[in-house]
Amino acid sequence: MGYAPVTPAIIRELKEILGDKNVLVDEEKIEAYSHDETNEEEYGHMPEVVVTPETAEQTAAVVKLANREVIPVTPRGAGSGLSGGAIPIFGGILLSVEKMNKILEVDFDNMVVTAETGVVTNDIISMVKEKNLFYAGYPMSVQTCYLGGNIAENAGGGKAVKYGVTGRYIQGMEVVTPKGDIVNLGGKLAKDVSGYDLKQLLIGSEGTLGIVTKAIVKLSGLPTASAVLLVLYETARQAIDSVPVIISNGIVPTSIEFMDKLSVQTSCKYLNETLPYENCGAMLVIEVDGSSAEQVESDMIAIGDLCMENAAQEVYIAEDRNAVERIWNVRRNIAEAFKVYSPIQSLEDIVVPTAAIPDIIPELDRISEKFSMKIPCYGHAGDGNLHATLVKDPEMSMKEWHKAEPEALRDLYSVTRKLGGKISGEHGIGIKRRDYLEQLIDPVELELMKGIKKAWDPNNIMNPGKIFN
Amino acid sequence: MNIIVPIKQVPETSNVKMDPETGTMVRSGVESVVNPLDLYALEAALSLKDSHGATVTAVTMGPPKARKVLDMAISMGCDDGVLVSDRKFGGADTWATSYTLSEAIKALGNVDLIIAGERATDGDTAQVGPGIAAWMNLPLATYISDIEVESEKSLIVERLVEEGYERLRLPLPALITVVKEIASPRLPTLRGKKKAMQTEIRTLSTENLTLESTNLGLKGSPTKVVKIETPKVTRGGTVVEAMDDASVTEAVDRLMDFLRQREVV
Repeated sequence: MGYAPVTPAIIRELKEILGDKNVLVDEEKIEAYSHDETNEEEYGHMPEVVVTPETAEQTAAVVKLANREVIPVTPRGAGSGLSGGAIPIFGGILLSVEKMNKILEVDFDNMVVTAETGVVTNDIISMVKEKNLFYAGYPMSVQTCYLGGNIAENAGGGKAVKYGVTGRYIQGMEVVTPKGDIVNLGGKLAKDVSGYDLKQLLIGSEGTLGIVTKAIVKLSGLPTASAVLLVLYETARQAIDSVPVIISNGIVPTSIEFMDKLSVQTSCKYLNETLPYENCGAMLVIEVDGSSAEQVESDMIAIGDLCMENAAQEVYIAEDRNAVERIWNVRRNIAEAFKVYSPIQSLEDIVVPTAAIPDIIPELDRISEKFSMKIPCYGHAGDGNLHATLVKDPEMSMKEWHKAEPEALRDLYSVTRKLGGKISGEHGIGIKRRDYLEQLIDPVELELMKGIKKAWDPNNIMNPGKIFN
Repeated sequence: MNIIVPIKQVPETSNVKMDPETGTMVRSGVESVVNPLDLYALEAALSLKDSHGATVTAVTMGPPKARKVLDMAISMGCDDGVLVSDRKFGGADTWATSYTLSEAIKALGNVDLIIAGERATDGDTAQVGPGIAAWMNLPLATYISDIEVESEKSLIVERLVEEGYERLRLPLPALITVVKEIASPRLPTLRGKKKAMQTEIRTLSTENLTLESTNLGLKGSPTKVVKIETPKVTRGGTVVEAMDDASVTEAVDRLMDFLRQREVV
């Protein structure tokens, strides 16, 4: 790749910019920055140095240095990513935004929060909650993830059916470009067509086009009431078939989550949950929210009725927090439960048009059988984003798994594409799906993306080797 | 079999804040839920209904908005709900509450079994269930983890005690309080919810109950709460900090000295 190494002279210069405490070289300390939530053995890579700038100016000075010397820079948030986006695969400088962690302003008149990107997203939510406001673009890993990581990945999550994903709520940002300049994009503006929307280009760019150091985040009114339905179906097909019926009915639920039989059973056994799941082939978890308990109740009943009319075996309801938590726990613990069964797995993130969801289920069964692996399927059915997960049979050898996994993924991705879908809905391409993207994407689209990358980052120092080569 | 389940509305306590000035719970904005331990009593009653046939009536004492927990009980499968509500009942302690509830249950008539939760998560006294049994002069068995119907006139119950279990034969009518081991509570269903919305909830008050006014509400409560406070943690503890490699040795030495002084090592 022709990148320059991080020499003692570079370390000295970094320490001059950042102070000794913000430059880490001890192997023990920087090890934590060598991986994210993907499989460490497969994707992990050590950085040569970890820097923790405290300001955008310091960040810019580091990037200028890196660009001058042609040293790769890998930006990093909380490290909860699921595609290896924050892993420094060429070594070089790992730049963590962890010390840029201040909420700078809560502007109630404009309903926005300005925050540095090392802020834990949950802190924004807790801070504005007492004013009956909320930040709606939050993913499921909300308790740990940083705002910066959410922006870099354009994170989605459980409530995207109604509220959309991160990008909808980012009105402005301060960015350090790959050349080390600082630029402000957007602002406290609801509308802005003054030139290309570079802000939206940065959102979901996985740290390949720059480092977002501040963001202006749009707030919404906090829904004061919510309720959850747990709907049991005999078959996955019936469950999935009722999703478009619910969505097209006019009431927009906050979430519609799908769990197939394997997911439900594994999670319930893990939790000692006694829901009557034995005779059910799939479940939907549907959440509705709103500003009055009466509205939420009538929406809940209307949706429940639709489910019963569309082959549901039973509709359970949860209107108080304890019951709501009990239902959500089943959905939230699926991944954890499967890690107990077999820690070797590939958590996938395919997204298809919602109406195509019924067609993907039999394909998963076919792939599961063909490659002798379990593929529990669960996820955000309401927006077509399914976390079909390839789980290694504990009996299968690692050698067999390494052969079967890429073949199964290629099969899964080509089926997804045939149905009009894409290989990642919210986790990103990173390093994990890079080679598959290049095989599946329209070559013209890929050329355009590469052109943009080259224009922003001529020396290819900003998170190189992610999304595409 | 006619089964009565007394249930209570309690504040949802997972996010409770305490007022540092008064030492009491900040109640504003706190959601009310059915006492989580009462769900096991409801489940025990509904399981008996499933296996042996029974009419299950949930009874709660509280303001009109306490109807919410009765709706929830009916949504789970109860046949009926009764709200015991009157301004004069306000501020009742466990004595006055168990008295009022026992009179309400007597007024409903013809009860075979009363199943209560182990205790409420707010007051934590575990007195109202046994109190009702005392006022009604019924046999009582607490901390029940299993119920077997022996005949129309008796149950065999398993009672959780420190050393293990007791098996008791209990003549009916009787009152039992149940523990979590009894069964995992079912969730309310949409069908149940719709039934609850159509069910007319009976309200019992001083108007339709014959009650000794000296046993009612705050005035009839022998317990007076003088003060509630959060216990202070008196253990201080010493933090031995090690900021860098050099200070680690020093910190370890200090820790070792500390342990030696106390003859731990």
